[in-house]
Amino acid sequence: MRRVLRMSYLVAGLGGIGFFGMSMLLLGVWPGRTLEEQIRRTQPAYPLPPTASEQRGRRIYSREGCAYCHTQQIRYVGSDFKRFGKATLAWETIFDFPHLWGTRRIGPDLSREAGIRSSDWQLSHLYAPQALVADSVMPAFPWLFDGAPNRPRQEARDLLDYLDTLGRNRALAGPEADVHARDAMDCSADERRYAFGKGELNASPAMARRSGEFPLLPRVKTQPAGQDVYARNCAGCHGARGEGNGKGADGLSPKPTNFTEQEYSQTRLSQALWHGVAGSAMPAWRDVSRPDLAAVAQVVRSFSATQAEPQIPPPVLELGASVYKARCAQCHGATGGGDGTAAGQFPIAPTNFRTQRPSLAASLRTVRNGIEGSPMAPWTNELREDEINAVAYYVRTFYTGDVR
Amino acid sequence: MPESSEESAPPVVETSLVYAHGLAAFVALLISACFGFWAAAELVVPQLAGSSPWLTWGRLRYDHTQGIMLGWLGNAFFAFLYHAVPVLTGRSVTNLKLGQWLFGLWNFIVVIPGWILVLAGFSQPLEWAEFPLVIDGFVVLALLLAAIQFLPPFFSRGLEDLYVSSWYIIGGLVFTLLAYPMGNFVPELLPGARGAAFSGLWIHDAVGLFVTPLALAIIYFVIPASTRRPIYSHFLSMLGFWLLFFLYPLNGTHHYVFSVIPMSAQIGAITASTLLGVDVVIVVTNLFLSLRGTGWFPRDPGLRFVSTGTMFYLVVSLQGSLQAQMSINQSVHFSDWVIGHSHMAMLGFASFAALGGLVHAWQRIPWASYQAGMINTGYWLLLSGVIVMVVDLTIAGLVQASSWKSGAPWLDSVRASQPYWAIRIFTFLPIAAGFFMVMAGLFAGKPGAGLKAIRDTVGPEPVAEIAPRFATGGQA
Repeated sequence: MRRVLRMSYLVAGLGGIGFFGMSMLLLGVWPGRTLEEQIRRTQPAYPLPPTASEQRGRRIYSREGCAYCHTQQIRYVGSDFKRFGKATLAWETIFDFPHLWGTRRIGPDLSREAGIRSSDWQLSHLYAPQALVADSVMPAFPWLFDGAPNRPRQEARDLLDYLDTLGRNRALAGPEADVHARDAMDCSADERRYAFGKGELNASPAMARRSGEFPLLPRVKTQPAGQDVYARNCAGCHGARGEGNGKGADGLSPKPTNFTEQEYSQTRLSQALWHGVAGSAMPAWRDVSRPDLAAVAQVVRSFSATQAEPQIPPPVLELGASVYKARCAQCHGATGGGDGTAAGQFPIAPTNFRTQRPSLAASLRTVRNGIEGSPMAPWTNELREDEINAVAYYVRTFYTGDVR
Repeated sequence: MPESSEESAPPVVETSLVYAHGLAAFVALLISACFGFWAAAELVVPQLAGSSPWLTWGRLRYDHTQGIMLGWLGNAFFAFLYHAVPVLTGRSVTNLKLGQWLFGLWNFIVVIPGWILVLAGFSQPLEWAEFPLVIDGFVVLALLLAAIQFLPPFFSRGLEDLYVSSWYIIGGLVFTLLAYPMGNFVPELLPGARGAAFSGLWIHDAVGLFVTPLALAIIYFVIPASTRRPIYSHFLSMLGFWLLFFLYPLNGTHHYVFSVIPMSAQIGAITASTLLGVDVVIVVTNLFLSLRGTGWFPRDPGLRFVSTGTMFYLVVSLQGSLQAQMSINQSVHFSDWVIGHSHMAMLGFASFAALGGLVHAWQRIPWASYQAGMINTGYWLLLSGVIVMVVDLTIAGLVQASSWKSGAPWLDSVRASQPYWAIRIFTFLPIAAGFFMVMAGLFAGKPGAGLKAIRDTVGPEPVAEIAPRFATGGQA
């Protein structure tokens, strides 16, 4: 009897270990095999492995615990799909040793972070997050820099490189790869909807777009709500009084616009708020409600210091027109619409002078010095002083306000 | 409990090791709580990190949970085992020297270097596995030493009629030894989703196969030892035990619901999570029936901690079953609701049980100090702190979930969290003060006051039945 009892405990012990083994098989090994098979069938032909720098960046991301506030996993649910984009596919994670999925979101998911923000924004934000995003609780990482956001050490560059890989492979693979994956996957209705459905691969409301439809924001009276939204979202870079000198401005290139020396049409403001300024650190704000956007547009307007227009003598304007035609029209367009034949090749679109009018001082300064960080070159070596004066006057005559 | 008829020499309780691990546990607890406090404060005042990498949020967060699991609960469990194993088996643990090596390894090779390495930037970004791989090797070695130290007494005694605590101790030690390498090494070898499947298992196994079994071993031990009454039903005990060890390992994937991990695995894990709630009801019913007559707040401090820990166990497990359901998980996952849940598990359930076990074992060291008043004050401070923190974080989680669902700008959820995060910081005060008071109650007061308190309230310990000799450790 004792011997039988002893046996039963042996059996129970083995059974107990068996439970553990079973859990590993059922929830680890077997799903792993399914995933492996799925990855084999769905992955694109040449997924881009990370470079040495990107791998170093990943290690920095790992050691600083980034994954404990930022998930890297877009779930197969409507709210994730709407906010972040198409759900993560298994093959997208094949280079993740170890995975950085995360189980807490204090900040947004980063699985499609590549391409949302400009490099100067990312670096400035890593250097001092609250300078750009006032209410952020993200820790600062100044030790990755040499004392300034535009002086990144190798570590900061590596981290930036790593951020640029997030979502890269799926974007590079293109829609064909998605169609291939969908057909190869034999997916459920939910998988079909959230991983391959109608919608953007990257749904981030902050991702700047160069073109596209945008809602024309209504003109509203100045209101405290607008000041509040401006202070939280815009003042970090553009400054509390719109002078382009916020705390976050230091590391940005091109610098944030100084609103006091610009006049904008409502169309331009609506477009910039809705689409951001592609190629610059100015993100899009599509998640902010339209009444708030309209209120912010009014705040930006209110900074503009409009002066009485000086009378320009006709010969000066004629000189300006001829210089413009020869030197500027290729990019800024024959009628100042920012739509010259060369406009499309630049990372930042040339200014459309019909919807935006710089002050005379700003116009002169820009022609002389160019805009650092943008394709606008300095012209002092190319043009005579009277030509610079004339063209700086001339570009201001294109402005039509909101008459299209 | 056990009969020690065949054994000639009475077993020895290595009180010096109970004392050493107890002290280390409290020190690690206070340090880990400070890591948690500082991380929580940085969510309200991010500038608190300064410009030094050593105090950045992520590193503090890693050290907080590793310190709680290994430094605090690990040491507390070892302290309890040095008391409980001889009592349960009628045999001494394997070797005093081995115990000293285990103590040194656990604290001076694992916990302290682990903390420092994480702060210095050497870690792995896996939950409940943040210490770097080099430390993980030593953890496995230490777990092996612990198995050698504590398991042979059970086997040499024979496995017939083992009391349920013994089962949980054997299970906890063996399964942790198996699960720890799985959680710490496999995700480094298998990329992305495939590794995450194993990570999910370990996230749950850390709580389910290490913390829960040993906490339950304490609860099952302290209740009959304090009330001097057998457990209500040994059948329910065994049913609960086997269901737990069957179901707990099958829960892991519920950390990645709606992920790319195959849906059948997710649904399996959710089903297991639901059934686990049923199992916990069985376990807790048995425990409550065993506690009957002791009231909501038993007079014996050790029993009081254990009794409250049991209540937290019920609530946190039912909450766990609830939040594994897809409809609820969809909303509250990724939010502070889960952080509230984990604090109720590790602080409400496990830490209360561990404190109960420590106080119980400590009281029975003939030469140790003991002061019941301070321990009771600590109890009330802790209870209030935990409840406020968990309620606060649960509401914060609901607020965050609704903000995310509404499609509002991301930062709206951060702004809306601020008041709750601020309250959470202040819960550090009662919690840290509570821990400190319990610790003070064990280090202040007269030597031997613990045993005297037992004699004065419920009469002398039935030493003849239990029969261990308490090593004097050179004192008293």
